[in-house]
Amino acid sequence: MVAKRINILWAILGVVGGMALGAWYMGSRIQSPAEMAARTAAPEPSAILVPVESRLLSSDIVTRGTVRFGLPQPISIAPSTVKGGVGLISSLPRPNTNFGEGEVILSASGRPVFVLSGAAPAFRDMAPGTSGGDVRQLEEALARLGFDPGTIDGNYDQKTSGAVERMYKKAGWEPFAPTREQRAAVAALEREWSDAARAQLAAEATRETAVKAVAAARATAEQNTRQAALDSAARVGNGRQLADARAGKSLALEAERARAAHSATAASADVATQVADRALIVLDPRQTETARAAAEAKLKVARAAQRKAKLEADLAIQTAAREAGLADERIRVAEGAVKAARLEGERNVRAAQEQQTLAEFDVQVASERAGRLERELATARAKLGVQVPADEVVFIPSLPIRVHEVTAAVAANASGPVMSVTDNQLSIDSQLPLEAAPLVKPGMKVAIDEQALGIKATGVVETVANTPGTRGVDGYHFYLGVRVETTPVLLAGFSVRLTIPIETSKGAVTAVPTSAVSLAADGTSRVLVDGGGGQEYVTVQPGLSTGGYVEVSTPDGRLVPGQLVVVGYRTAEPAAGPAAVK
Amino acid sequence: MKKTICAGLFAVLLATAAAQAQAPKGLGTEEFGMSPRELVQAIEKTEELIARCMREQGFQYIAADHNTVRAGMSADKRLPGLSEEEFVSRYGFGVSTFYTGLPPQLATGYSPARVGLGERNVQIFRKLSPADQVAYNRALLGDDVFSTLAVALETEDLSRTGGCTRKALTETFKPDQLKASHYNPQDALINKDPRMKAAIAYWQREMKKAGFEYGHSDEIEPDLRNRLIALTEGGKLLVSKMSQDQKAALRKLQDYERLVAVKSHKMHEEVLTPVEEKIQEELFSRKVQ
Repeated sequence: MVAKRINILWAILGVVGGMALGAWYMGSRIQSPAEMAARTAAPEPSAILVPVESRLLSSDIVTRGTVRFGLPQPISIAPSTVKGGVGLISSLPRPNTNFGEGEVILSASGRPVFVLSGAAPAFRDMAPGTSGGDVRQLEEALARLGFDPGTIDGNYDQKTSGAVERMYKKAGWEPFAPTREQRAAVAALEREWSDAARAQLAAEATRETAVKAVAAARATAEQNTRQAALDSAARVGNGRQLADARAGKSLALEAERARAAHSATAASADVATQVADRALIVLDPRQTETARAAAEAKLKVARAAQRKAKLEADLAIQTAAREAGLADERIRVAEGAVKAARLEGERNVRAAQEQQTLAEFDVQVASERAGRLERELATARAKLGVQVPADEVVFIPSLPIRVHEVTAAVAANASGPVMSVTDNQLSIDSQLPLEAAPLVKPGMKVAIDEQALGIKATGVVETVANTPGTRGVDGYHFYLGVRVETTPVLLAGFSVRLTIPIETSKGAVTAVPTSAVSLAADGTSRVLVDGGGGQEYVTVQPGLSTGGYVEVSTPDGRLVPGQLVVVGYRTAEPAAGPAAVK
Repeated sequence: MKKTICAGLFAVLLATAAAQAQAPKGLGTEEFGMSPRELVQAIEKTEELIARCMREQGFQYIAADHNTVRAGMSADKRLPGLSEEEFVSRYGFGVSTFYTGLPPQLATGYSPARVGLGERNVQIFRKLSPADQVAYNRALLGDDVFSTLAVALETEDLSRTGGCTRKALTETFKPDQLKASHYNPQDALINKDPRMKAAIAYWQREMKKAGFEYGHSDEIEPDLRNRLIALTEGGKLLVSKMSQDQKAALRKLQDYERLVAVKSHKMHEEVLTPVEEKIQEELFSRKVQ
């Protein structure tokens, strides 16, 4: 009985359970028409409202760049000639250490290496007496550091030397004094100069002697000439006699000739008389033969006398001419003796003059050498002041500097490149796409930021390459160089975002999201303003559009910041959407 | 009588279980339970968002098409000329065995991440300065430079993503899908099957016998990645700059990876895969990709 009741109870429970399951299943499946309509009806759209804003609109070019200090430049130490050899590096700076002007960047063999500002590198030792552009650089640096070097004229003088000494002492180093070699060189120069001065004096004495020798030679030559003239005169007479003799021999000769001519004329006249007489006798028939013969004989006598006179005249002329020739010979001999004496004297004078010339040349050589040694000695003495060896200063075009990489090691030779440095100016290497490059100009402001660290800085466009593919960028980009102007931290090595505003609204303007502006049928732009109770279209004049916002203006000022405009309509989520994609 | 009642109740329960074994409506066969179409849409949208985000960061990034991303997903544990078994025997899961410390874009060998990024993006990356490369990957991928979109989708672990990839995924996927605890609903469904449970239990026992304690084969690769990250300072330590101890530890991890990968792969192929395929056929009437 009990079992039967239990079975009935189970059966009832089963039936109830089955009915419950059936009711649940049917309930989940059966839907009323209202429910079906509600489920399938389109949801009520609700407007998505955003406020009108007053904001600065800016159209930007965004790119990336790597911040660096200036391009690394090597620092080399020039060899110094005043030091015995190359020093050994005794201390070196660590990378990223900064150095300003007048600071010691490293030391070698216990000597400092100063860093100074200057365009040209140090290439020689600078000491009192040297001059040039490097000295001017040194003087300018000393002046900037407050050590008065006197007039900045490119000449290393005592004031420069004093300024250098003060610079060394202020940095805690002893200035570079004259070396033992320099002092020894000065001593040697002093000795040489002394010898040269003595040689000059000796040459001058020789020259004086030579001058006197020339005068003596001249006097001797004059005396000899005069003596020769006297001797000649004594031989032919004195000078006047000689002249008279020369003139006289001609007169005697002419006298003889005249006499000969006279005798000849007289003889000719006598002959002519006899001829005439003979003719008269011959032609006169009255004359006798004897008369004729007598006339003939007289004629012959006359002719013989004529011949005699002629012969005697010729003899006299010849005698006179021979006498005249002897006189000439004597005169020539006397003149030759005088000339010989004069020539001998002149030769002696010339020889003495040559000696004088040689002596003067010796004096000149000795004077020049003495003068040169005196100048060298003065220079060497002047160089004995405080000097700047070439390996104790490096000139850098722009300071301060930052050590980029140290290439030398302690105890290595302090010569040649030892490190590379950069200037302290942060720059950014970046690139621009081809289409963006024409929009960016040097001088444009740049917003710099590193988002992960929240660093913001400012800069200015320094360079935009003229052609793509330069300075390490590919051929589809232009190199962009940006100079960092203000930054809260040193950004060197960071990759930063560069935002270059290429067009701004020049102050805050009324702006709405771009999606809020629609086009009306008449072609005007408008926004739908929600006024709480209702919505109305407001015609606007769109302006600059960037960053999802557009500048809008209304002639009547109906649109003001804070008002709500419709940018879209929100609809209800579908009941069953895609599994993942929103 | 009691037996009858019990049999009736069992029949009711079996019917309920059978009803539950049917795949829920909308559950796809691809990663994260998406349909192939949804996966393509998700990839394309994510890539577009990544490109936009990178542009805002000042970087150039070409949105990879879904074929490129799929190629990256398919490149996982694949090398030309090697079967998956050969790959696993030589390189394990390719987690620590290919580690160089270089970002994926600079990898020259096996790198699904590089494949998934696309060649143009790799070339863009390679032209950047070292600092920009670091910033690029930080902007694109965050801390874990190997969790590219392709790798994250393939491993179905979006939690390791970062940077613009993470930001884009946030806008594309649901919040729970971004969590490390997210489990593919399809896999969850399969794992709930008693047959699969039994197979997993067997797999656990066999792995434990071999000296490896894991609850599921899906736990191995994340574990290897975590060990590698711990060893390599977040995956950024170059092998060339490792100390001898670090190199020895890396070699040890690589050996471990090969051993556990071979064992796991073998067990997976022999035990889990047949059961998984059987259940998938029942659920989806097709083999899941």
